[in-house]
Amino acid sequence: MGNEIACQSCDLLVSVAATKHGESASCPRCGCFLTKRHDDALRRVLAFASIGLMFLVFASSYPFLSLSSSGVESAITLIQAPFALWSKGMPEVAVLVTAFIIVIPATVLMMMLTLCILINRGRYHSSLLPLAKGIFMGQKWSMVEVFLIAVIVAMVKIAAMATVTIGISFWAYAAFAICFTLATSNLDRYQCWQKIELLAIK
Amino acid sequence: MHLRKNDSIQRTLALLVTASLLYIPANLYPVMYTDALGSNEASTIMGGVVLLINLGSAPVALVIFVFSVMVPSAKLMALFYLVWTVERHSALDPRQRSRLFRIVEFIGKWSMVDIFVVTILVALVQLGGLLVILPGVAAISFAGVVVITIIAAESFDSRLIWDNMEDKDSVN
Repeated sequence: MGNEIACQSCDLLVSVAATKHGESASCPRCGCFLTKRHDDALRRVLAFASIGLMFLVFASSYPFLSLSSSGVESAITLIQAPFALWSKGMPEVAVLVTAFIIVIPATVLMMMLTLCILINRGRYHSSLLPLAKGIFMGQKWSMVEVFLIAVIVAMVKIAAMATVTIGISFWAYAAFAICFTLATSNLDRYQCWQKIELLAIK
Repeated sequence: MHLRKNDSIQRTLALLVTASLLYIPANLYPVMYTDALGSNEASTIMGGVVLLINLGSAPVALVIFVFSVMVPSAKLMALFYLVWTVERHSALDPRQRSRLFRIVEFIGKWSMVDIFVVTILVALVQLGGLLVILPGVAAISFAGVVVITIIAAESFDSRLIWDNMEDKDSVN
């Protein structure tokens, strides 16, 4: 089987045979990133994805932020945040927000787990292709890091009016965001397809 | 190997026009209302930036200004420009245009920051009659702009930038 990739961004055929472990390759014509060989990629993805999911469960079960002003207090959990938008007459935005910050990232991590386990078994499985496609599609729509920045901005905005306290869930969500980023950056598109191809022709 | 995207230019253009139209109410109408002790105050996206500067948090104001004002408009313009150059079979530095497209793709989701901020504030600030924050219509249109421009970038096939280069290179 060949070691040539068609660059995703300009369709130039590039040979990546000389890429060693730990090295990355980009397209000589347009400069687009092509592939990076990670050591132990699948094991790392498996580890980060499973820890990330645990952090997410943790993040959704404790208070995320709380607020107090002149003796009145209110606290929210992660899931309550989009729900408030729903009850204030904006179900569309609530659905989008829930999808971008919880549902899609969680689904991506679960698909990564399944993919790693299936590849590790060393046999071809018909769900490998849709899984890989789903993972790379879902990564584009995951906005965990954006949400973290938004939390900080929101805190600055209300700090003048009331006292905000960060709950334990916030830290769990931050850890989830880190695991998510590490898992996605270790799963290289080209390496992943190549592994699936190897299993398919075996 | 990836298949070419069907009707890339038409789809991208249609989505871009939709997003541009939605962009108008997104900026004119308030994204949220602050109800403090009975006095109701509406704030637009730009108003939020001004408020943050007045609060003395210039760095955060800059973040919101960049992601909610600069990025969406720059993105729309960049995509319009790319579609236009591809349509004209322009030979303008394709490497630069490829890079521009990758930046557009990468930065797209960061515009959701403001929507997430409104989400958090609406949920958190529910202090009875003291202080309540409610979402405004612009939240829907702005979220629409962000989502539609991401889909527009997705449907734009960046390989089109290089196609007429190849036509010119291989005159055989």
